[in-house]
Amino acid sequence: MSAARADPSASGVRGEIAPRGLRAWLGRRLTIAPGEPLPQRRLFLLPTRFGLAWLALVGVLLLFGVNYQNSLAYALAFWLAGLAVVVLLRTWRNLLGVAVELQLPREAFAGREARLGVALRATRSRTAIGLILDAHDVTLPRLETEATASLPWRPGHRGWQLPPMLRLETRWPLGLVRAVAWVQPTTRLLVYPAPLEAAGTEHRQLGEGLDATDFAGLRRFERGDSATRVAWKQWSRSGILTTKVFSVPPRQQLWLDYATCRGSPERRLSLLCARVMAHHRAGDRYGLRLPGLELPRGEGERQRRAALEALALFPVTTNGVDGE
Amino acid sequence: MIGWQGRRHRHPPGVVVLADGHELGAVMLRQLFIGQCLVLALHLPWMPAWLVGLALVVAVWRYFQLRQRVPPAGRLVRLGGVALLLGALWLEYGALHGMDGLIGLLLGVYLLKLLETHDRRDARVVVVIGIIATGVAFLHYQGILMALGALMALAWLLQSLTWLAGAPDARRAWSETGWLLLFSAPLMVALFLAVPRLGPLWSMPQMDRASTGLTDEVSPGDIAQLSRSDARAFRVSFDGEEPATHERYWRVYTLSGTDGRRWFRAPPDELAATLGRSEEDFVRQAQRSPWVDEAAGAGRFRAELLLEPDSRPWLPSLGTPLASDSEQRYLADGTLERVTAQGSRSLLRLESSGAAPTNADPAGDAWNTLLPTRDNPRTRALGERLWQESGGDTHAFLAAIMAHFGESPFRYTLMPPRLGSRHRVDEFLFESRAGYCTHYASAAATLIRAAGLPARLVVGFLGGERHPDGYFTVRDYDAHAWVEVWLDGAWQRLDPTAAIAPGRIELGPQAVEGSAEAFLADSPFSSLRLRELAWANRLRLRWENLEYQWQRGVIGYQREAAREFMLRLGERLEAGYDWLGTHLRSAWAVAAWLGGTALALAGSAWLLRHALRQRRWRHESAMLGYLQCRLERLGLGPDPGETPAGHLRRVAPACGPAGEALRTVAEEYERLAYAPLNEVERSAGRRRLRKVIKEMRRRLPKRRYRAHRTGAAGDDVAS
Repeated sequence: MSAARADPSASGVRGEIAPRGLRAWLGRRLTIAPGEPLPQRRLFLLPTRFGLAWLALVGVLLLFGVNYQNSLAYALAFWLAGLAVVVLLRTWRNLLGVAVELQLPREAFAGREARLGVALRATRSRTAIGLILDAHDVTLPRLETEATASLPWRPGHRGWQLPPMLRLETRWPLGLVRAVAWVQPTTRLLVYPAPLEAAGTEHRQLGEGLDATDFAGLRRFERGDSATRVAWKQWSRSGILTTKVFSVPPRQQLWLDYATCRGSPERRLSLLCARVMAHHRAGDRYGLRLPGLELPRGEGERQRRAALEALALFPVTTNGVDGE
Repeated sequence: MIGWQGRRHRHPPGVVVLADGHELGAVMLRQLFIGQCLVLALHLPWMPAWLVGLALVVAVWRYFQLRQRVPPAGRLVRLGGVALLLGALWLEYGALHGMDGLIGLLLGVYLLKLLETHDRRDARVVVVIGIIATGVAFLHYQGILMALGALMALAWLLQSLTWLAGAPDARRAWSETGWLLLFSAPLMVALFLAVPRLGPLWSMPQMDRASTGLTDEVSPGDIAQLSRSDARAFRVSFDGEEPATHERYWRVYTLSGTDGRRWFRAPPDELAATLGRSEEDFVRQAQRSPWVDEAAGAGRFRAELLLEPDSRPWLPSLGTPLASDSEQRYLADGTLERVTAQGSRSLLRLESSGAAPTNADPAGDAWNTLLPTRDNPRTRALGERLWQESGGDTHAFLAAIMAHFGESPFRYTLMPPRLGSRHRVDEFLFESRAGYCTHYASAAATLIRAAGLPARLVVGFLGGERHPDGYFTVRDYDAHAWVEVWLDGAWQRLDPTAAIAPGRIELGPQAVEGSAEAFLADSPFSSLRLRELAWANRLRLRWENLEYQWQRGVIGYQREAAREFMLRLGERLEAGYDWLGTHLRSAWAVAAWLGGTALALAGSAWLLRHALRQRRWRHESAMLGYLQCRLERLGLGPDPGETPAGHLRRVAPACGPAGEALRTVAEEYERLAYAPLNEVERSAGRRRLRKVIKEMRRRLPKRRYRAHRTGAAGDDVAS
């Protein structure tokens, strides 16, 4: 049953094989990488339905001018036609030269929402540029030199993954045409398995009197750190947010073992993932045993990261993993 | 999550699209409503005023709907609105298929559409209908004012579209609209000039507008009504000789039938049916008059007529029409008709003789001497007596008639007493003896016919105002009627009005004594009343001239004019090419010349670009130098040896509201000067700096800053 998970795209992004085929070729032809300003060959102008309606409007007014021999109706029709041409250029120019930077989320779990940061840079000011990622979109009403936005992204599965293609779109100024460009992210992100809390395993109560007290040093601030532990003094001096780290007496020493979990391999990995995070939060010393891999016991951020990476990259299809 | 959010809630109610991303907000609805008002204003002089009420009712309903005080207009309400609109139009016009009814329907639907305008798509539909309605407004009128009004409406509608496409603020929306209109204007002009014009593809309902108030029959009162109006009948300019004042007899049509009371027109088809002949005998479609020998040579006058829209086919001509630039219907009585009715202004080039026609009327003398035997016995008796007294000499007879008008106590008035009896000509000739051209002309024609001579009435215009630029304007009050008599093998003009009121012929209707109160009685605010004020009259003439050029050059730019323009353009280009060929003999010279021109153009473009982008804004040290100069003028100059940033920081507390911005400038400058930045960051920093300094340039006081205002940096200029 798990053999079906070995989909080629997963191996494609993990292995270093360049993607082939028409789609990939199109992808290379149509998209740009983050960071470079949009060149004109990667910028596409497509008419909108309103644009087609505009052409029909020009036609109607021309017919009107012809049948009534009305010069001003002619003039109006020609002006609308001229506007359509100018709008074509203005729309195109609104997107040309915009550079897109992607900020990958620090960590992402399969099936959970992560936020993909997008920063747009431009040398001229721009108006109403839309960013579309899958079904989500956000519009930047104005872009003087730099503007940022973030878009939700839900990675489908664990392992190395490229974020999906990002679409830049603008219909400014009249909505007659849209200029479209696609940005293909080049940096992959290691997606961890979806954490799954096993039913019945409650969080252990926090131990009593085991508060961290001994100052052990500083580390960079991470989101979620308690405000009481931020080293405000250092921040005021250096401008860098750091968190004071205290050495915690280990609560527990334990092994997280693939073999002791139940269910399909993916489910086991999810369970292990949830447990890694729970034990990390509790400050335990833990080790990880996967078929063919053993992570010695350790603690702290580094241990957590090593464990999650091991879980994310664990190859399900290798022999004997279906340990049931 | 998004950096620009801070700006957004500065105008909380001012959102174009509500939070759900679809429903339109109050700002957008107001935009659409103002657009509707502008478009409606273009139509209003010609359309019923209750449309304004409709617009207001719809807007108020939509407003309460937005505020959720009334439910959205359901299908019943909307259908009811349309039914009400149709009913009102029916009451107004009696029918819906007429042009006015159709325009009313379009406008009504445009206004009602606001009720079911909910999202972007609906709003765009409203704007598109607005543009169509703007185009339709040109059916009413194509003057300069209408064009300007339509341009305003178009600009507003475009601006609404930019809001729909995501304009962040009004400034951006309007500047973009301005650029769009500016860039597209040359394209419009080029297309307008270059696109060949076609004839009408199919017939459309036409506006029913009579501008020249002439009617098919003349009975006392008609032309007096016309003299009360200053509406323009047509304008004309002459190529070559211009007619003298007493020669400006514009023939429009002839009246050859009479029942003793009225004179009426016998159109070719009726005449053919009455006399049992084919219509070909009375009218032919051609570009040259088939009734005049081609050997007779060219006509005396070559006129270019700019005709007002008229649903009737009549065309004026100075004397007998001889040839025209397009196919027209030439009538045997020496008048001209259009092939189709004219819905808008048009140009016509016409060659004419300036005199009455020389061809006999195919209807025959019997038709032109027909007179009811039982009416007007005293007139007939007078005619026969005069004929006998003249001893059969036609010239003496006509002179006697004119003399009769001149000697008896006849007077010319635009407000004659009403003639009610059956013998109307008798009543005029022997009792009231007061009247104007129609009275005299019909009396004279009756007298002549009583002697058995062929005679007919001609209705048209006499005179016209000559503008300094050399064209003439003929107005409704120039309408006139006179007589033509068949004499010595040709028709001769006989104007009995000349015997009573010679001033009418030479100077125009306003010159006739006693008619002043009737003249222009229906146009109390006519600018023509200002003729006595010299400067006002000059202004009026200048405006009319501008309008004439507009009508002739822009509105009259139809098939012939377009073809001619392109031909002339081609000739000019060819001439220019020839000139180049002769002056620059070898290809090398041409190449050098072109290269030189290109270089010169590029150089001037470069210069212009640099002149536009002021030097002092290009580099941060230049910007800062400018700022320091400004501060020095305020008495806050730098100390010797002080760094620019240090200087700004030092004086910041003394600059009041601008102080905070000065600190920002100092910081930004230091970043640019010392921080390791790449080129993009550097130019971004310069832009920020430029923006702050420009902002501050406006805020800094012009004079020395007062000491007591130091320190209070309450207003954040830099934000």
